[in-house]
Amino acid sequence: MKSFLIRPALALALAAGLAGCGGSDKAEFTVAGTVYNLLYPGLKLTTNGTTIDVAPPAKAGDEVSFAFPNKLEYGDEYNVQITGEPLHQDCDLVGQYPTNADTAGRLAQIAIRYSCVIEQHAIGGAISGLTVAGLVLANGSTGGTVAPAKDATSYAFPLTVEYNQTYGVTVLTQPAGLTCSVSNPTGTMGDVDIKNINVACVPNT
Amino acid sequence: MKRFYLRVGAALACAVTLSACGGSDGELLLGGSYAGVTKAGLVLTNGDQRFEVPASTAGNGTGSFYFQDLVSTDDEYDVKVVGMPDNVSTCDVVNGKGRAAFNITTVQVICTFKKHKLSGTVANLRASGLILVNGSDRVEVPAGATGFAMAEVPEDAVYGVAILQQPANQACTVANGSGTMGKNDISNLTVTCAP
Repeated sequence: MKSFLIRPALALALAAGLAGCGGSDKAEFTVAGTVYNLLYPGLKLTTNGTTIDVAPPAKAGDEVSFAFPNKLEYGDEYNVQITGEPLHQDCDLVGQYPTNADTAGRLAQIAIRYSCVIEQHAIGGAISGLTVAGLVLANGSTGGTVAPAKDATSYAFPLTVEYNQTYGVTVLTQPAGLTCSVSNPTGTMGDVDIKNINVACVPNT
Repeated sequence: MKRFYLRVGAALACAVTLSACGGSDGELLLGGSYAGVTKAGLVLTNGDQRFEVPASTAGNGTGSFYFQDLVSTDDEYDVKVVGMPDNVSTCDVVNGKGRAAFNITTVQVICTFKKHKLSGTVANLRASGLILVNGSDRVEVPAGATGFAMAEVPEDAVYGVAILQQPANQACTVANGSGTMGKNDISNLTVTCAP
């Protein structure tokens, strides 16, 4: 009698256990990751038809975590793309091997890593009257120098300037027999190359 | 008899091999990278080996170096700075000590430039709003100021101070605004404002 009761009880327990394991709860995967050095708003990431905005951290320099709300099932493919760059920055995947596209479940956890850098833009301008070599222009102590060749009609510094940094171009060395002056020499870098730091050279009298 | 010769031969071969391996000439490179070296003067030693690092040709003071003598497997090495360029205050060695097992390319020598003050006087500045820049260094000069100081500049680096923003209703000019930092502070910049 006792054993007659125990057997159905065991069978029931087994059935309950199986349902718990492989029943309606399917394994789900969250497409998630981290963004480093994000400073400005505007970053948009997209995968499997969903786009999320990634906001910069409250404290500059902190890393930002992101996770897509749409869960993937085992075997689903994902391919995260940057569909909007943040203002004044460029973001890219970190590491030698891209981690943004794969099949859910191949890795225990999906961890995509992006890193952002502040955009840099060139500074330069037109040159007139530079009939001899020897002119050296400097962008302060931080921006390097440039020595335009004789008869050059334009120049650009080899070093670029980061967004929101100042620049100030001065004549470090005047060419022999000429006096060169710089117009629009200073500014704060925006989102485009600066091409109006013009240099005009006239013969000394 | 035959065996005896064989043995002697084997012993000789062994000795030759050993001397080739562990003799005075090593087989591993000892070196790495340096930063902050814009002129000659950096001298490194490893034991009694001495190496004068030539000035960087990259223009930014960085490059790589290797001691001319190779070191042997299992040799201890300890790279030290015994001479510095005259425009740096310190040269620190990172990963300079160890025991050779592979080519050593991870020694770092980092020199820090001496820095000097860059300052000047201001005449007739009555309004607020004057902003001076030396490249990315930005200094606001308040109304009534009679002097200003920019961030310190490394020795042998160039500087060029220019006006980012004029004060309200005044126009200022900078004299002696550009040059190359020498061994002493520069204090001869003048900003003159009118009217």
